[in-house]
Formats: sequence, C-alpha cells, structure tokens
Amino acid sequence: MKEVLRFDNVSMHYHSKQGETLALENVNFSVCEGEFVAIIGPSGCGKTTLLSLAAGLLSPTRGKVISDGYSFGYMLQKDELFPWRTIEKNIFLPLEIKRANTAENRARAVALAEKYGLKQFLKNYPSSLSGGMRQRAALIRTLAVDPDVLLLDEPFSALDYQTRLSVCDDVYKIIRSEKKTALLITHDISEAISLADKIFVLSHRPAKIVAEHTLNFPETEPLKRRENKEFSRWFELLWKELNK
Amino acid sequence: MKHETVSKEHLRYLRRVRATSVGVNVARIAILFLFLTLWELSAQNAWINPFITSSPSRIYKTIVALYKNGSLFHHVGTTLWETLAGFAIAVLLGYSIALILWWSDIARRITEPYFVVLNALPKIALGPLIIIWFGTGNEAIVFMTILIGLIVAILNMLNGFMATDKNKLLLLQSMGASKLQILTKLVIPSSLPNFISMLKINVGMAWIGSIMGEYIVSKAGIGYLIVYGGQVFKLDLVMSAVVILCVLAAAMYAIVALVERLVIKNK
Repeated sequence: MKEVLRFDNVSMHYHSKQGETLALENVNFSVCEGEFVAIIGPSGCGKTTLLSLAAGLLSPTRGKVISDGYSFGYMLQKDELFPWRTIEKNIFLPLEIKRANTAENRARAVALAEKYGLKQFLKNYPSSLSGGMRQRAALIRTLAVDPDVLLLDEPFSALDYQTRLSVCDDVYKIIRSEKKTALLITHDISEAISLADKIFVLSHRPAKIVAEHTLNFPETEPLKRRENKEFSRWFELLWKELNK
Repeated sequence: MKHETVSKEHLRYLRRVRATSVGVNVARIAILFLFLTLWELSAQNAWINPFITSSPSRIYKTIVALYKNGSLFHHVGTTLWETLAGFAIAVLLGYSIALILWWSDIARRITEPYFVVLNALPKIALGPLIIIWFGTGNEAIVFMTILIGLIVAILNMLNGFMATDKNKLLLLQSMGASKLQILTKLVIPSSLPNFISMLKINVGMAWIGSIMGEYIVSKAGIGYLIVYGGQVFKLDLVMSAVVILCVLAAAMYAIVALVERLVIKNK
C-alpha cells in the first residue's frame, strides 16, 4: 500500500514569553492509502498540533512531514458551519476558497449531500438542523473538494452520547464508501477502537508514540464492534498504555 | 411541537402574553399623555412659570410659526445634513481603518495607545481649533461630528473583527484560504451584528457631534436654535428645538433598527 502521510522524526516546539514548550518529540508514524488510523493521547498532549502539522498549517521544528501531492480535508470538533450561509452554501465554501467553484464541482457536492440524506436541508440554515445533521453537513463540506485524506480532530466530542454513537457510525460509513483515507485524533479510547484499523498511542507532553496496534475486527461497523468481546480487551490494554 | 387544536391552557397563555404587550403600550402612551397634560395644566394655571418652562401648547405654536415663516425646514435640513454627512463619513472611515488594523497586527499594536487616548479625550476641547481650521461654516460641524463618531466606530468594529471565532479561522486556513478570503468569507459576515450595533451607537454620536458643533459655531440648525433661544431667553424656542431633535433622533434610530431586521434575519 502507498503511504499518503509520514511523520519522520518530527519534533515541535512552541515559543512564548513564558518559555519554550516541547509539544512533540521524535514522532514517527505513517498512514497508508485507504487506512483508517486513530491516534489517541491524553488531553493536552499535542494532538491538535499533530493534525495541524499533517495539514501543513504548521511546520515542524525538526524532522519532516511527508505527504507529497495528497490533499487534505480537516474536520473539527464542532461543525463550524457558518450560520449566515445555507447548508448548500456552507458545502460550497471550500470550493470557493480553492477557486474551484464550477457548476460541475457544485453538482458533485450537491450529489454527495443528497446521497447522504441532506437533500431536504440544502436550502436551510444550520440553526434549523440537529447536532448530528450538522456534523454530517460538516463532513460533506470536507468531502466537497474531494480530498485524499481526512483529518478528524475529535469530530464527535461536541455531541451528546446518543448522537455521538450514530454520527460515528454515519461518518464511518460515508468515509468507507467514499474510499477515503482517514486520520482520527481523539482522547476517547472506545471511539478509536470502534473506528480504526490502526491505533497509535501518544504519551503525555512532550508527546511520543509509545505503542502501535493493528486491529482486526471481523465487523467493520463501529456499533457492531462495540458488541465484540475483543472490544473490552482492547479498551483495557489501551487504557493502561494511556495511563502509564 | 405544533398542535392543530390549541389547548385551553395555551389559549390562556397566548391571551396573557397579548394582554401584557397591550398593557405595556397603553402605559407608554398614558405616561406621555399624563406628562403633557400635567405640564400644560401647570402652565395654564400658573403653578409654574411658563416663561421659564414653556408648555406643550406654546411649543406647538412655536413650531407652527417656524413652519409658516419657512425657517423650520431650513434649520432641520441644515442639522440633518450635518448629522448624516458626519455619520456616513465616520462610519465608512471607521470601518476602513478598523479593517486595516485587523489586517496588520503591527499597525494595531503601534497605534493602540493613540486610539485609547483619543477615545478618552473630550472632543469638544478641540472646538477652538476646529473653528480656526475649518472656519465657521458647515464643514466645522461635520468635522466635529466625524471626530466624535470615528474613534468609537473604529474601536467597535475592531472588537468585532478580532472576536472572529478561532475555530472557524482554523477551518478556513485548513482549506488554504488567503487572508483576503478569510476577510470576505468570514470576518466581515460574522461581524455584521457588531456593525449594526456600531451604527446604533454612532447614530447617537452623530447627533451629539452636530448639536455640539452648532453650539460652538453656527448660523442655522437645531443646535443654533437652542443656543439662540437660550441667549434671547426664548425658552419656547429651546423647548421646540429639543422636541424636534427627539423626533429626528428617534426616526434615525428606527431606520437603523429596520436595517437590522432586514439584514439579520437568519440568526
């Protein structure tokens, strides 16, 4: 399988008047095409820094982030839909930004939205949608420019538990059926187990990768995985590694 | 949940809401009516000296007289023109300067103490300078109006621009947006409520500016009528001018409120 993203001995320092913080230290990992990779770590360990590096919003102090030619789509904790735009206009936003706002691309984005149950909401404003629907709209917005890799920054953490489970299922199915590579960052162990093919565990600051696991669940759907006996075994293992 | 058939409790609730809002309106009008009546009666029966306090009927007669000798619209027009010109320039210039300060961190940091001092400075202190620089025409008054509104406009808008949601900024950056795109797609639309509240504040500021300007130097206008009326002890004229001012200021505020309703409907 082809590598779409690789962190090569990446270290990251933050500078402020109070001093220097080492956020990441010698982080090495790679994501291959079609994989769903999750990175879990304790709160405040620099997970978002890691995603920003992957998206190219930051450049590492040392080491290299290699992602030649692949395009990225970023999905945040909250949907961040613009309240003054309709759902349709929100979905067109990345097209406008990338100056790819052609009739063809718009039609593609609309088709995607319709395929995943947003048809009747296209002309609505975000305030009239439920949290789950809004997050789905945010995913479609991310997919509108057809990125190769999705970077997911705790995309379900702002939702209530019920919604979280169903949106998690939803997002997983959409990502799989669109055949996207995904890199999920989360502190929620069960979320990582229910979604990922591969899990990397980060330590406290300065964050290092302390473990790597390949999951082989027979079922692929997140909700089904949660019913599997293996699920709790993984949970215990990862819990211990996180709290080391 | 909407029900086709409305329950008795809900009907009672709706009636109560309607009754309260009718009550509020009635009370508002009643207070005005009561105040005017009491004022008029006090003046008629010489409980108070109408030469000093004027009275509603005398105010009415004065305004009619102003209208008949043709000077009413001259004065109103003069002040309205000064106010609107000052308001428009202060708002446009303030918005533009705030944009520049949003764009350049360094410019903002360098100029910050100046804006703080200028904001705290009572602009009327510059009165004599303004007369010398701009003469005794309308320009001086418009300049005073701008001066009073400008800093407020800048600081209010800049606050709005700087309060742009950090996560939405991150989202646009992750899409590869340029600074100009961030400005037009996010910062300007998301600061629309700040713009409206800035307009509301500046309506008030503009009236302060134009009336204060007319106090310092003027040949016509509502502020001129007030100062003139005070100097020749025609308090009917002063009161009439104040009443006209109230009506104009309320009308201008109402227009801004209307704009607000038209612009911010999908919140």
